Amino acid sequence: MSGKAYSTAELMACVMARHLRDREVAVMGAVSMIPMAACRLAQETHAPNLSYIAGGSGAVNPHLEPLVFSSCDAENLRADAVLALPDVILLEGHGKRFDVFFGGGLQIDKYGNCNLVCIGDWHHPVLKGPGTVGLPFLPRAGRAVIYTTSHNARTFVEKVDFNSGPGFLDGPESWARQGLPGQGPSLVVTPLCALDFDEISKVMRLKSLHPGVRREQVAENTGFELVIPVEVPVTPEPTPSELAILRRVDPTGVARNLV
Amino acid sequence: MERTRKVMSVSEAIRRFVPDRCESLAVGGMHMHNNPMALIREVIRQDKKIKRLITSPSADINADLLLGGGSVEEILTAYVGFEHLGLAPNFRRAVEKKTVKLLECDEPFLVYGFQAGAGGLPFIPYPKGLESNDLHKINPELYRFTTDPYTGEQVMTAAPIKPSVALIHCQEADPYGNAIFKGSEFTDRQMIFAAETVVLQVEKIVPNLAERYGATRVNVPGFLVSAVVEAPYGCHPTSSHTYYTYDEDHLKVYLKACKSPESLGEYLHQYVLGMAEEEYAVEIGLERLQNLTTRGVSE
Repeated sequence: MSGKAYSTAELMACVMARHLRDREVAVMGAVSMIPMAACRLAQETHAPNLSYIAGGSGAVNPHLEPLVFSSCDAENLRADAVLALPDVILLEGHGKRFDVFFGGGLQIDKYGNCNLVCIGDWHHPVLKGPGTVGLPFLPRAGRAVIYTTSHNARTFVEKVDFNSGPGFLDGPESWARQGLPGQGPSLVVTPLCALDFDEISKVMRLKSLHPGVRREQVAENTGFELVIPVEVPVTPEPTPSELAILRRVDPTGVARNLV
Repeated sequence: MERTRKVMSVSEAIRRFVPDRCESLAVGGMHMHNNPMALIREVIRQDKKIKRLITSPSADINADLLLGGGSVEEILTAYVGFEHLGLAPNFRRAVEKKTVKLLECDEPFLVYGFQAGAGGLPFIPYPKGLESNDLHKINPELYRFTTDPYTGEQVMTAAPIKPSVALIHCQEADPYGNAIFKGSEFTDRQMIFAAETVVLQVEKIVPNLAERYGATRVNVPGFLVSAVVEAPYGCHPTSSHTYYTYDEDHLKVYLKACKSPESLGEYLHQYVLGMAEEEYAVEIGLERLQNLTTRGVSE
């Protein structure tokens, strides 16, 4: 935390929360403590009508205080409503029900494709990842918000070894050719910075640097050439009221202590 | 004539309903919740050979223990891992060393597949865009395409999944196999509907289940269930929704034990092979189990 009044995970939650709009519907999978904190924060600030679904529990707007680690925890079931998992899959397939899908991966590439399947060739993996679960729905689920707690050149690669969560595929032409209902990846949040995507080239672009982070540091820790605008703003720090809300919904530091 | 009660011991249920060479075995539960561990440990004790292991969209120790201590030829899964606790050691090792054949799929392949298996549907077509990832490229046998008769376009399909046997945890059942999930159902009901044979483990047998909760809440009909095993704390070290939470410390002990074949062997001896399932709770410690409290949901 280096003497700051907030943790990096809390800053990441604020970046995600500010991206969410009122009346939207968001969905997330496993290991989503920071997105959950972000959704709660958004609901308590500018987006009181935001709905979010907590992974395999099927819980709509869990009333979690404190947050929990497991996406399928029974604690999630104190919620506005609870859907059976196959119902969540139906909604994910619809194409217009969800506005934001939180995703991530062992690898994330310059077009925002994610990989949870393997490092190396699938037939002879150097590392077998856990598997992709629901990430293939990314191209049908509104805007993808990608997050990772490790911003380094092993995670951010030129091209994923296995595309298990499609972003802009092989770039603007292949994305346009598919004509998918989703809008593709729109935001990437890491411990170093926030990123979005260049409208024309669909390549990941530095959006804002977290306080104290230099642009060279981001470039060095990214395994491909980012689009870096001349002017890159600093990510606004959590406001005292944002922090107060985060500390209330996450008193035990389930999200806060991640980074 | 008397109605047949389906209640039996865990050893009898596995002996009678899981063939020595089981063509396909589905295990319920999702992540570290509602894993039918009492039944799974007994499958390992009785040394059943599993041709194909089928999981929910997110498996945990249910699949990992079978891969570490049992005999599994191939696994159909979309995820095996331990969420915030890390990767699944035996799954990872078995796939990397090719001691198991991996049929890697995504979540809808399983959800649609159980649905198709349950309803006798020949397949379920995927929504457009789900073919834009690489899964079908490495597994064209699994992911087949056909022509949409309405648009003439190519569509990817999910094949029906019909497990020979499904092992499922419900919180409560009556002696005839009518059962309820008191928390999340995950894909366990679909597995029950799709499987040829279903073995249930429950925290508690409640003779007047429908009367107690109202029949609308009892959504597992007994006619789909072959055996009911009362196994209190039978999901340990995973949670049983509304009954108890997962034992994170024990899961960590397991993950550590899986680091070497010797320590895994010791783990298996201490918690699986060296005892009857009925002794498991005592081995873990009743006080420890009782402390796995969960606030859960109100009735």
